[in-house]
Amino acid sequence: MVQSIITQFLSGFSVVAILVIAALGLAIIFGVAGVINMAHGEMIMLGAYTAAVVGKLGGNTFIAIPVAFVIVGLLGLLIERGVIQWIYDRPLETLLATWGVGIILQTVVKLVFGPELYYVGAPKALLGGFRLIGRLPFPYYRLFLIVVAIVLLGLVFFVIYRTDFGLKVRAVRRNRAISGCLGIDTARVDMMIFMFGSGLAGIAGAVLAPIKSVSTTMGFPYAVDSYMVLVLGGVGNLWGVLAGSGVIGEAETILSFVFNNVIGRLLVFLFIVIIIRFVPRGIFGYYERR
Amino acid sequence: MRPINPLRARGVYRAPLIPSWILIGGAVVVALIGAYPYYGSNAYVLSLLGKFLCFAIFALSIDLIWGFTGILSLGQAVYFGIGAYFVALSLKINYALTHPTRYGGKIPDFMEWNGLTSLPDFMTPLMNVPFAVVCALLVPTLLAFLFGVITFKRHIYGVYCAVITLAESLILQDFIIEYQAYTGGFNGITDYSNYVGAPFLWFILAVTVVFFVAARALTHSRVGTVLKSIRDNDLRAEFMGYNVANYRIFVFCVSAFMAATAGALYAAWVGIVSFLDAGPVFSIQAVIWTAVGGRGTIIGPFVGAFLVNGAEFFLSGTLAQWWQIVVGGLFIFVVLVLRDGIVGTIAGWVRKRRKGNFRQFIEESDQKAHDRQRDWDPQGAPRAGEEVR
Repeated sequence: MVQSIITQFLSGFSVVAILVIAALGLAIIFGVAGVINMAHGEMIMLGAYTAAVVGKLGGNTFIAIPVAFVIVGLLGLLIERGVIQWIYDRPLETLLATWGVGIILQTVVKLVFGPELYYVGAPKALLGGFRLIGRLPFPYYRLFLIVVAIVLLGLVFFVIYRTDFGLKVRAVRRNRAISGCLGIDTARVDMMIFMFGSGLAGIAGAVLAPIKSVSTTMGFPYAVDSYMVLVLGGVGNLWGVLAGSGVIGEAETILSFVFNNVIGRLLVFLFIVIIIRFVPRGIFGYYERR
Repeated sequence: MRPINPLRARGVYRAPLIPSWILIGGAVVVALIGAYPYYGSNAYVLSLLGKFLCFAIFALSIDLIWGFTGILSLGQAVYFGIGAYFVALSLKINYALTHPTRYGGKIPDFMEWNGLTSLPDFMTPLMNVPFAVVCALLVPTLLAFLFGVITFKRHIYGVYCAVITLAESLILQDFIIEYQAYTGGFNGITDYSNYVGAPFLWFILAVTVVFFVAARALTHSRVGTVLKSIRDNDLRAEFMGYNVANYRIFVFCVSAFMAATAGALYAAWVGIVSFLDAGPVFSIQAVIWTAVGGRGTIIGPFVGAFLVNGAEFFLSGTLAQWWQIVVGGLFIFVVLVLRDGIVGTIAGWVRKRRKGNFRQFIEESDQKAHDRQRDWDPQGAPRAGEEVR
């Protein structure tokens, strides 16, 4: 029992990685631009469809990643310019508007690709796996997911904390009005952030496509999980994403193993509610002065 | 003598609980719906009417917390669903007693499909329908109370509340699908004796009227004023000494009770309950009915529920897949253009037309008050324009 829980703990790392990948794009959109992007799941779904199309054309996941980043990023730009730029001051209503955007995206994809499921194969280099302690097989693709999560986290850290653009982003996040007074084009920062976050969601879709059948409704659970990660981890800084994903991913894996999937999720949910009872803005919450 | 601000003064002007034109219009609508069994013969329209009334109550419950208090819950269907499932289970169990399944069991068919041979012990109390109805109404209210105590007491609201409630309803949906032996799972609970017919329609109508009048009374009272002030600026309301958390918990419980009632009526009326009725999609649909009708107004949810569902009924057949795009566009349109919803926008026009007279009235009274203040000139008080040292 103890040993199998340890192996579950190790395999939980890949669940954590999935959560990190899915939540990163949302974290910077929600954390910086303050937009509640309910179309996040649909962006992941579009990234996955991009991967499916790239796969049909003879490419693999490695090619699909940059393609999905560009396509979904441009789509994010379109959504930001078309809808969200008018409602930055009403965060709860961005939720409704982006939900509408999500429904439209879902329907359009269904009209174009049809209702059937698509399967995307993992790249040949990543097929197979190795055995972890005991008899638990650990596919190479899961390892790849962990690597991708680390690389993406590093990339976002670099962009936010080491570049000029990131400096502006953090300034806007701290105090929008003063940043504007200092000559930062806050609307432009919001736009770029939304585009960047959408692109990350696209990457998430492309990477997650091989472990899940691609369908129009695949995104919603990821979006909800991502939001739970942010609620638990807090949107104050990027460590929140890691902390939230870590706690939720591990807890869910182990509890699902001990009980079953649904009870596991229920317990994790109760656990999250109890935690934020004590840290209302998340573990790495940003307590802003109002 | 102190100056009197005519708006603050008690007893100067207070809108009637139900303005006469709403009383007349409401009576006409109620008569139109209630008399349908006499002038209409279409059974399907009859069933739709009862369904829409339940939806209107449900939308009203969202309007109370969102439109009047500023709590956006994306999991209101949890309370609707629990209410509906209690009633549906109870009716189904009783139905199975007199209608044995194909294999002769006297338990609901979905239980038999899942290998149960007798009714689980914890479900036997549900054989008593009145008890089940009480459960259907009280369990969601209690749940809402618990939820409120945990979150609102710790200043968790706004976006966080929306996300948590969303996850809540997603989990309930998963739960229902997973434990299909007890809930009917993916297929839901079907085939039990439901109450479609004129008497039950009148009952639903009566409940609807009671709830709408009660909601008007609540939002029109002093408590309602506090709720609206919490919506507009919760921090300031807190500084003025109101216990914001308790007001939020209170209205959340009232709203959950309404949603549960709507669910219970719905289950008894349509005769089918599925996991979708407790899921996040249904919750958000109801939010959009409220937004379309006009949040922060009492008749808005009613108008929204009837218009959107009516449009779905008429258009989804011809538009097929495109209907979903219309729904998505509706979300964006309501948020970007029609911010106050249909009723709110119309009310805005009416107010603007009246504004001329109303503003004149206020300016005149203000002038009078100002004049009085000038007569009352305490020693040492600086006059206008005088420099203060």
